[in-house]
Amino acid sequence: MTKDEFNEKLRNSSLPVVVDFWAPWCGPCRAIEPALAKLHTEYVERVDLWKINVDEEAELLRELHLYGIPTLIAYHSGQEVGRRTGAASTRQLSLLFDSALSGIPPAQAGATAADRILRMGVGLALAGLGFLGGIGWTRHLLIGVSVLVLFTAIYDRCPIYRTVSTRLKDYLRRKPAGLSRE
Amino acid sequence: MNPFVKFMASPAGRITRIVAGLVLIALGLLVVHGAGGIVLIVVGLLPLVAGLFDFCVFAPLFSAPLSGKKIRAG
Repeated sequence: MTKDEFNEKLRNSSLPVVVDFWAPWCGPCRAIEPALAKLHTEYVERVDLWKINVDEEAELLRELHLYGIPTLIAYHSGQEVGRRTGAASTRQLSLLFDSALSGIPPAQAGATAADRILRMGVGLALAGLGFLGGIGWTRHLLIGVSVLVLFTAIYDRCPIYRTVSTRLKDYLRRKPAGLSRE
Repeated sequence: MNPFVKFMASPAGRITRIVAGLVLIALGLLVVHGAGGIVLIVVGLLPLVAGLFDFCVFAPLFSAPLSGKKIRAG
């Protein structure tokens, strides 16, 4: 398969795609297989998972400038939005699936560790100010804001938020297409 | 890029805004009472939220993007 044929296949795909470039002899490729299978089930009918054996597609490997395996590339509307080389945890791999779904590169998908610590510190400081100095409605306002700030530190790790937000985004994305068919 | 905007988008600028926001809120709660205190709390929330979520409300005044990430990227 050439790069043009591959791009054509991507353009014809109705779903965002994550492509796993693997080889039968590659240990890390086998190591991430259960996580990928799990994510494939989790994102079924929302993100497609293609598996390409690099031994059979050496030309494509060169054209896509892949320098190691396993490499996973996330595509949204036929455009690459993220890639990752090497073994990774289910959580790290799920960021690629989220990127394919949203079209946002994985680096922007989650808060950094420093951001999380900062938000937790500020959330706790606001809660403290609210409890210690808040009078009347200002106490409720500050406690409410502190809860929101604390939540923003962990929102993308909350399974309820992830389920609700991905379903909501999916619903909002599909709705116009559904309406146009009527 | 304006040096003021660049500083505000840097990690030091973000922390400065967060601290300034918290100080204003603490002043509004603990020192200034009445309507002045409420104004301080509301005004303090603005730099706090802007620093926390990495956007700079004054950047568009200097023809810079609102997002801190975009400012840092140049």
